[in-house]
Amino acid sequence: MIDYEYLKPKDLEEVFSLLKSYGERAVLIAGGTDVMVNIRNKKLAPEALISLRGLEDLAYVKKGEDGYHIGALATHRMLETSSLVQSELSALYDGASQVGSVQIRNVATVGGNICNAAPSADTASPLLALDAVAVLRGPGGSRKVPLTEFFTGPSQTVRASDEVLVEFEIPSEMGQFGSAYHKHSRRKAMDLPILGVAVSLKIEGEIIRDARIALSVAAPTPMRAMEAEAYLKGKKLSDDVLIEAGKIAANEASPRDSLRGKAWYRKEMIETFVPRMAHKALERLKNR
Amino acid sequence: MSEYLYVGKNIPRTAEVDKVTGRAIYINDLKRPGMLYGKIKYSEYAHARIKHIDTSKAKKLPGVRAVITGYDIPDVRVGFLRDQTVLKKDKVRQFRDEVAAVAAISPEIAEEACDLIEVEYEELPGLFDPFEAMKEDAPLIHEVDARGRPIRTNILPLPWKFEAGDIEEGRKASAYIVKDSVETTWVNQCCMGTSGCIAEFDMNNNLTLYNQANVIFWDKRRIMEYFAQIGLKDSKVRIVNPIVGGSFGTKLDTDIYEFIAIQLALKTRRPVKILFTREEEFFALPPRQPAIFEIEQGCDKDGKLTFRWAKAILDNGAYTSWGATTPSVMMMPMSSLYRVPNVYFEAKCVYTNNIYCQAMRGYGNPQATFAVETSMDHLAEEAGIDPAELRLINCNHSGDVTPMRLKITSCGLEECIKGVKEKLDWDKKRGKRNGRGVGMASLIHVAGGARVYKSDGHGMIIKVDEHGHVDVMSGGTDQGQGSPTALAQIIAEALGFRPDDINLVFGDTAFGLWDAGTHASRHTFIAGNAALEACAKVKRQILELAVVELPKLIKHQIKRQKRKDPDFKEPDLDFSLIANPEDLDIRDRIVFSKKDPENPYFRTEVSNILREALHVGTGKSHVVVAEAFYDPPTEMLDREFKGNLSCTYAFGTTGVEVEVDEKTGEVKILQLYAAHDVGKAINPTLIKGQIYGAGYIGVGYGLTEEMKLEKGRVMNPNFLDYKMLTAKDNIPVTPMIIETDEKDGPYGAKGIGEPGLVPTAPAIANAVYDAIGVRINDLPITPEKVLKALKEKRKEK
Amino acid sequence: MKKITVSFTLNGDQVEAEVPSTWNLLRTLREYFEITGPKEGCGVGECGACTVLIDGKAVNSCIYPVAEVEGKTVTTIEGLAGEDGTLHPLQKAFLENNGVQCGFCTSGMIMSAKALLDENPDPDEDEIRTSLSGNLCRCTGYVQIVESVQKAAEMMKDKS
Repeated sequence: MIDYEYLKPKDLEEVFSLLKSYGERAVLIAGGTDVMVNIRNKKLAPEALISLRGLEDLAYVKKGEDGYHIGALATHRMLETSSLVQSELSALYDGASQVGSVQIRNVATVGGNICNAAPSADTASPLLALDAVAVLRGPGGSRKVPLTEFFTGPSQTVRASDEVLVEFEIPSEMGQFGSAYHKHSRRKAMDLPILGVAVSLKIEGEIIRDARIALSVAAPTPMRAMEAEAYLKGKKLSDDVLIEAGKIAANEASPRDSLRGKAWYRKEMIETFVPRMAHKALERLKNR
Repeated sequence: MSEYLYVGKNIPRTAEVDKVTGRAIYINDLKRPGMLYGKIKYSEYAHARIKHIDTSKAKKLPGVRAVITGYDIPDVRVGFLRDQTVLKKDKVRQFRDEVAAVAAISPEIAEEACDLIEVEYEELPGLFDPFEAMKEDAPLIHEVDARGRPIRTNILPLPWKFEAGDIEEGRKASAYIVKDSVETTWVNQCCMGTSGCIAEFDMNNNLTLYNQANVIFWDKRRIMEYFAQIGLKDSKVRIVNPIVGGSFGTKLDTDIYEFIAIQLALKTRRPVKILFTREEEFFALPPRQPAIFEIEQGCDKDGKLTFRWAKAILDNGAYTSWGATTPSVMMMPMSSLYRVPNVYFEAKCVYTNNIYCQAMRGYGNPQATFAVETSMDHLAEEAGIDPAELRLINCNHSGDVTPMRLKITSCGLEECIKGVKEKLDWDKKRGKRNGRGVGMASLIHVAGGARVYKSDGHGMIIKVDEHGHVDVMSGGTDQGQGSPTALAQIIAEALGFRPDDINLVFGDTAFGLWDAGTHASRHTFIAGNAALEACAKVKRQILELAVVELPKLIKHQIKRQKRKDPDFKEPDLDFSLIANPEDLDIRDRIVFSKKDPENPYFRTEVSNILREALHVGTGKSHVVVAEAFYDPPTEMLDREFKGNLSCTYAFGTTGVEVEVDEKTGEVKILQLYAAHDVGKAINPTLIKGQIYGAGYIGVGYGLTEEMKLEKGRVMNPNFLDYKMLTAKDNIPVTPMIIETDEKDGPYGAKGIGEPGLVPTAPAIANAVYDAIGVRINDLPITPEKVLKALKEKRKEK
Repeated sequence: MKKITVSFTLNGDQVEAEVPSTWNLLRTLREYFEITGPKEGCGVGECGACTVLIDGKAVNSCIYPVAEVEGKTVTTIEGLAGEDGTLHPLQKAFLENNGVQCGFCTSGMIMSAKALLDENPDPDEDEIRTSLSGNLCRCTGYVQIVESVQKAAEMMKDKS
């Protein structure tokens, strides 16, 4: 029968020391919306849960001279209601505001969403398209890992067992990009994406100066479609160019057939939504 | 009509205040002293022979009070065809097969004990496709029937075949004929409250079963029959409903878990509760039956239907519950939706190793109407007739007797079709093929009872006490549809009281008289009619007492007034105006003289009369109580499945406008009009609630909901992957209430519980076709299916 | 079984509970405090029948570790009506507009609506639907629930 200690450390040092003494027997819990479900479904059977909710100072969204900083304990609801995220990191707003329900978003954290490393994580593609860097802290100090290198497989990341994800950094340059994320799902709430597409674009006149395209549920981990990005760079904006980018991105992806969607359909949706999200990103840039 | 005080009014559901304060007690909340918790060990295979069951470890777990397998309880077959035992000991035939059960002091311990039960299986090849299962050389899922006779086929011995007129004549008379294949899948009822029961025996072995049954007297009977076979034939059974968290068909049959709770309670001599988890709700309860149709219809050059021919294959799953009887309801739309002279319909139910099926709102009608109404659209196109026009040409009308011998009394179908057409701006919007389209579908359903049992009656006991409180003991059940309000309105109106005075008690076999159950959209109609009869009797009793007591009260009053005021002049009262019960009436709790209604001396509260009649001090005191039993003047279906099984029929039409995203295959509903002939709306707000709710489930049936089975296993047993719609999906349903004043209905009302669901999915399918020229004939209409069909269509070009 | 002790404010009362550390808030409310309003419809945060307010925010109590309510304020449907039994405008509106049918989702639905109206007294339909999107209902099709919330908002405005 499931039985665990519920540990509530007050600061990171205490987290590290608990992680050290419990090792693999402990699981970190932030909002708990995944962990508690996994325990109930018997996918997890920890001897201890180490709660990160005591680290209240890691729940923030702010902008500094060196870029945007999002604390790992920021809830989806915080991102959704942040005017900074809404206006300057719009794709992240799209992703965060469509996770589960208000009840879930009130407690689920962005750090948890990323560390859970589901291919379907709704904040993963937006953060990838915004060039986010994950800041990990361990007993020996901090290290920074670009999100492109963060995921190593389904439910797997580069986070070492004695490390805690503390922050995402987004370069200030990304503020000049327009961005948008589409969650393709059967329902408008309480759903996982069949496919997620995030696009961020920087434009000068008619020329696409820079682009990021990120995809969820298109591969074993959330991914960037870098060939499509490279294709777009320097091109003159047109429907044809965006459609072509969608095709390239679809080719880069390696989605699978699952209960939630067929691979061919997912590829089609990449083709469909790369241009649509590009248009939405540009529209937002215009209206800023 | 306008003189009604309560009928037709939007009376609030104040009677259910407990539901908005958290105090309503559902099975989830109910506890009995000393209660244990039961859990079920299910099969790990879709089809396997059980070689060995070892419960020793489970029995040793502290807190466990009983572990039972098929070896510990009598080998008694249960179910509609008696094709399963409560616990399976030789063979499992589906993943939900109950192999063992545990009672323990907590649900966790019971669950852990289930995990400790070791079962050794020898896997057998499974049959998951009804067509495979029908093949002559297919392995048999059941070897013998209930009487031990060998079974030679997986096709169930059920005679679902309907014939009327002459199909060949119909074909000859046809100018146009279409043939289609149509498919519907498993859907779950998704009651928000999960299933459960508490079984409790007293020391005389009498059982009280707290459960959610919606036909409590049949439930009692099935349990009595079971008792007779397990040596408890002298035991009494009482069924008690707590508040029910949704039903939608799930509570029509007595489920296996209820027999298991009974066995655990017998063994432990303690109350035992079994409460399903959501996952069990999805994989261990019988869902709506999937059906595969072939349907052919024809019409003459004027669009008059000439014949309708259809065959259905129903995946029955491993055992038989009410799902296997849905063809009897399918016959109704097949034979009687629109005027069609020549009809042939047959249905085969086939055993497979899939989950077995039960009833769900509409009971076979949604499946069959999907076939009929998508085919109607196809036929309209073939004949070059506007689909709405084709429906109007063949519209049912009052006075018709259909090929099934249904006698159509009131019928608002024409009004429904025309109403929806106008609201949708049909003529302007149809036929554009520009990604936007309109579609419609109609329905016929029983709406004045359904004589599926030999009694379709409802018993009601009404008493009025000296405080003026009206207690009503209904033999029926309430599942949240609003009966405590709607029936209170009928009773208040008929009795001359206020709805707030009425206290309705449902769902207890000890207090209620027989009722054939809250199903088949029959409750308001049947219970309403019983209420009218009982009210008439009670009212008569009150007025008879009033004739005696009112003059006494008046004399007392005059005496009192005289005492207060010596100058008081005695009024000149004509007591002949209140001399007979017929001279009196009751309105708003007040007894008054019909001939002199405003005379204050002739007006008094009913409670005054009843108090006087009770506290008489002579040995001649009176109380007021009456019972009524209403059984509608209908007939059972005969051997040919013909007969007027309902007093009246519901008609309705759903019309939708959709927008299809041709790049994603997504279907968006822009407008949905649901026009329903309800006879008379007792409470329009409540009626709309039924139409909204049923419409929403219908949209789910059409677009998003499906239980995904892989080799017999339910792959999506949760709300994340079973796509029931959310508030955010915002389907713009607009109900249109059409009143036809049904002569046999209580205040003109007909049933409306199920109809809203029935035509929704075909209306959507027809609108999708109008939008993009692609017919999706298998439900649900998923984006993948739409996109695939569009691609194929483009290829063809 | 490892146990923990938590103290928090429940419907206005300062309370303390000693329960297994594995328990979630819902179980603590239902089994320790014998409160029946919040329901378990799924146990995994997918239906919203267990919705309660923690420090004014709607959460699924079925996946909320009880250890985390220490020092917080929890409000369930039981804490809504006035001490004299006066119904909250939401409770009244749900009864008047048929926002209730079987009632199983109602406690959670009303709590989600309460969190919304406390934060935004004048929500539009879309905001209401977003706020209720985590509360599944099988009976109503949500239309009359949304209407009930709109009516309650009007009542609350008239009052203040």
